[in-house]
Amino acid sequence: MQNQEEQSTADGEIAGTCEIEDCANFGGGDDDIMQQQSSVPFVGDKEPLSALAAEYQSGSPILLEKIKVLGDKYVAIRRTRGDGNCFFRSFMFSYLEHILETQGRAEVERIKVNVEECRKTLQSLGYVDFTFEDFFALFLEQLDDVLQGNETSISHEELLNRSRDQSVSDYVVMFFRFVTSGEIRKRSQFFEPFIFGLTNTTVEQFCKSSVEPMGEESDHVHITALSDALGVPIRVVYLDRSSCDAAGVSVNHHDFIPAPGNLPSANSESINPFITLLYRPGHYDILYPKWMGHLYVIESSLCILQAINDVPVMEAAKVILEYDKKHMVARQRP
Amino acid sequence: MQASRARLFKEYKEVQREKVADPDIQLVCDDSNIFKWTALIKGPSETPFEGGVFQLVFSVPEQYPLQPPQVRFLTKIFHPNVHFKTGEICLDILKNAWSPAWTLQSVCRAIIALMAHPEPDSPLNCDSGNLLRSGDIRGYQSMARMYTRLAASPMKG
Repeated sequence: MQNQEEQSTADGEIAGTCEIEDCANFGGGDDDIMQQQSSVPFVGDKEPLSALAAEYQSGSPILLEKIKVLGDKYVAIRRTRGDGNCFFRSFMFSYLEHILETQGRAEVERIKVNVEECRKTLQSLGYVDFTFEDFFALFLEQLDDVLQGNETSISHEELLNRSRDQSVSDYVVMFFRFVTSGEIRKRSQFFEPFIFGLTNTTVEQFCKSSVEPMGEESDHVHITALSDALGVPIRVVYLDRSSCDAAGVSVNHHDFIPAPGNLPSANSESINPFITLLYRPGHYDILYPKWMGHLYVIESSLCILQAINDVPVMEAAKVILEYDKKHMVARQRP
Repeated sequence: MQASRARLFKEYKEVQREKVADPDIQLVCDDSNIFKWTALIKGPSETPFEGGVFQLVFSVPEQYPLQPPQVRFLTKIFHPNVHFKTGEICLDILKNAWSPAWTLQSVCRAIIALMAHPEPDSPLNCDSGNLLRSGDIRGYQSMARMYTRLAASPMKG
């Protein structure tokens, strides 16, 4: 049927459109980018925010102004390779680093429950176990290893090494892709309009062609799905040339807050994402807020205080937490 | 390397278990090398490939399943998306749309689906693609059927 529609144009096209070359060089354009990118490690070193400003020294004044504004809240950036996996890779490192630094055992227990839920989702969607189980196992292994006190515990340096080692890094990225795809397909009715607006395809096609294959870039849909599935809030700070304020530039951010059912505490207003990513059109890196350390310590203590029902100390901790969040107070690590 | 071996071993066990489940696909692992597989697939019914049995060869890379297996037809086939001389297959899941969610078995299923639904707009076999693109369905089908009889007929051994 298709051929009849095309008949009118076919004659003119036949000579020039044999696509043998096309298929042989599938993705040929990407190779250049890949090669160029392979000089950047999967996950880079932590760099001061001034390194970001240096990139735009002779560039857009709006961007420079925005980076200055960023400096009020953020101190450092960690770059990831722009190979299409940068969102997942940034999320991976940022999350595992957070667990390593906070030793948040409660968070690890919580996310493991969600991971098991994701496993069931994939099974119920008809995925064969062996296609995804190795990726799940490797992520769970990393989770256990960043907690100290086990035989297999790892240092921050080793976490960085593993994040740069393709055999670990890509497997964890693929784990996130499976989780994301499962969540989108499970809630296909919710995601359908977004996906249709984005790519004009069905949910299933979208997952098959834009979520599951390595190197496919992430969009709002991916971030929402991953954040929901794992119950991890994510803040994305946008750095682009847009400016709406006449008075002065401001930097927009968007918080991806998981559906309440998936969250540790039900009060979604007080959710403070511990993962902050910097988005520049087409790419994600990791951002480090100024006030990182102590807020997490307080937040994770809250769970313990709640567990042992120490109300007075809990209330005091909450007051400090609210004040510091509101006023962006930076404190030393205890 | 270890990971790919482990994964392939799981696929091997699954294939043994599912043998009866999919009578159109017979996937066999090389006795001495788990990275080499062959498959016999039946040409889908109501296509010019009906009645034919086609042999595929798989070469699995060490980065499998993060990277796709290389697959080609060993049996000659007249199809827009299969190279007439080398048997190379133009299929997105074997290139940029690959993901570890696919298995050797499901790749075979995708190839059977491709046989039934050729994509003449990205041809590896221009003659075959041009017949379809110019609307000469009958010409395409008779060529394809002829090669099925010549090369893929089980009778001829």
